[in-house]
Amino acid sequence: MRGIYHITPSGWAGLAFAAFCFVVLPEISGRLWLSVFTSTGCFVVAIAGVAFVYARLGMVSLTQVGLMGIGGWVTLRLGYYWDLPFEVNVLIAGLVCMVFGCLLALPALRMRGLYLALVTLMAAGGLDIIFVTFQFPNGGEGFWGVAMTGGQQIAGPVLAAGPEGYLRLVVGVALLSFLLIEAHCRTKPGRAWAMIRRSEASAIAVGVNVALYKTWAFAIAGLLGGIAGGLLAGSIGILDAATFRATESIMLFVLAVVGGSRYWLGVVIAATLYKILPALLNNWGVSADLSFVIFGAGLLHAVITAPDGIAKQIYDGVAGSVTKKKQEATRA
Amino acid sequence: MLEIKDVTVKFGGVTALNAVSASFTQTVAGIIGPNGAGKTTLMNVLSGFVTPVAGAVNRDGQDILTIRPHRRAHWGLRRSFQREEIADDLTTFENVMVQLDHGRAGGGDLRGEVEQALAFVGMSDRAHVHGAELNTFQRRLTDVAKCMVGQPQIVMFDEPAGGLSLDESKHLGGLIRKMGAETGAQVLVIDHDVDLIREICIETLVLDFGERIAFGPTAEVLDDPKVKAAYLGIEEVEA
Repeated sequence: MRGIYHITPSGWAGLAFAAFCFVVLPEISGRLWLSVFTSTGCFVVAIAGVAFVYARLGMVSLTQVGLMGIGGWVTLRLGYYWDLPFEVNVLIAGLVCMVFGCLLALPALRMRGLYLALVTLMAAGGLDIIFVTFQFPNGGEGFWGVAMTGGQQIAGPVLAAGPEGYLRLVVGVALLSFLLIEAHCRTKPGRAWAMIRRSEASAIAVGVNVALYKTWAFAIAGLLGGIAGGLLAGSIGILDAATFRATESIMLFVLAVVGGSRYWLGVVIAATLYKILPALLNNWGVSADLSFVIFGAGLLHAVITAPDGIAKQIYDGVAGSVTKKKQEATRA
Repeated sequence: MLEIKDVTVKFGGVTALNAVSASFTQTVAGIIGPNGAGKTTLMNVLSGFVTPVAGAVNRDGQDILTIRPHRRAHWGLRRSFQREEIADDLTTFENVMVQLDHGRAGGGDLRGEVEQALAFVGMSDRAHVHGAELNTFQRRLTDVAKCMVGQPQIVMFDEPAGGLSLDESKHLGGLIRKMGAETGAQVLVIDHDVDLIREICIETLVLDFGERIAFGPTAEVLDDPKVKAAYLGIEEVEA
């Protein structure tokens, strides 16, 4: 059995990548790209949640962007209302979304597959309408906190100053998110989820409380969605309902499948395709809508040749070349 | 002793089990019958996957039908399915450990217990291999190891020899018999392999169309004309 502190080669690569993003990336990026990378980091956290539920439980949740919206709303509301540190507001937003995640788990107790996906999509659609109708707080009065003209921005994080610091904060949170998921997967909950994915009957036969562990998984996805939304709110300052369309949740899920939902690299690939690719296309003077064509091609590629995603193909390629080199060295 | 008392299961208009009763007094017992006899349904009643309309199942004074399905594993119910239920992305060790994660024996040397169970079934050298890389027999052995840990009270095997070669089936039968003696649990084996049942089960319950048609010492039961008729058809018996 893997020890909880055992670091795999993929884990070392992930830590090295996080270190690069933490130390080097903020130093070499201009203002525009700092914003793009920060936004990408936020979506890494959100996609980690949706990919986690799919990879561990085999369940499709299409509400992740809606949960991000709730997280953003709570962070902005608290930011304008109280003088709590930004980090505390984000954490509270995550906890609120955890509760929403638990509510989303209720249909998951009875449904799977397409039916569950449709129910979660309907929840995302409902949230979409709420966001469009009530908008996001911008310093106005009352419960909804919406003013005709936006006021000052909410206070920034205590732990990080400036856009470079904010990117580092997001990278740190993304790393903690992956560690949280990995810690779960290596211990009792991870084994319970593996049995549930195998079959609920076999999980019950070994004593797994299926309702509890499904709820737990959705709560974690909710937590990550809420934190991602809070971080996005802190990064942009003012949120727009168009960011949290129900269709975006479908996009996140599709990209998680294309990237490889079981791997940190798959989540990073998904977020890169979602946020960095359109920015690159814009930078090259090409319409960002072209990215949808690329997403479609990526999905076809995943369905036909890479059911475990691009990340698995990369891992297999690296493992294959390492084995080949070892064999050559042995022969020599 | 395991006492099954008047268990009746109905699926709509179909009576899958009709007031089935049996008092198992021997450690390893068999449940046989033709397809559709209600064997797996009876096992599902014990597991909590099917709720009977009437009846009780007692083990040492505890009516297990009153326990919630997932709590039955905490209590000591173990079962294997017709298809080996081994998680592909967990190692053999983890596949056994998951049973102890939710067992009643909190604390103690859980790792040691898993290692012991794997040694018992001869899977120690495959402990860190993922479920996806195990063959059918190894997956079945892992199932047996899973059923051994955490002080089992009742262990049920649903067609454990399905898909195994003759030698593998014999080896598995030996393990199941030894396991009954080692753990003290009531072991119930469902299988179509009558030789296996004859080899390892001291007493056997025979079902047909949801009715108990025979129960007693295995040798006697297998020689019962009613059982032969149920298995082989009336004409062949008459001939």
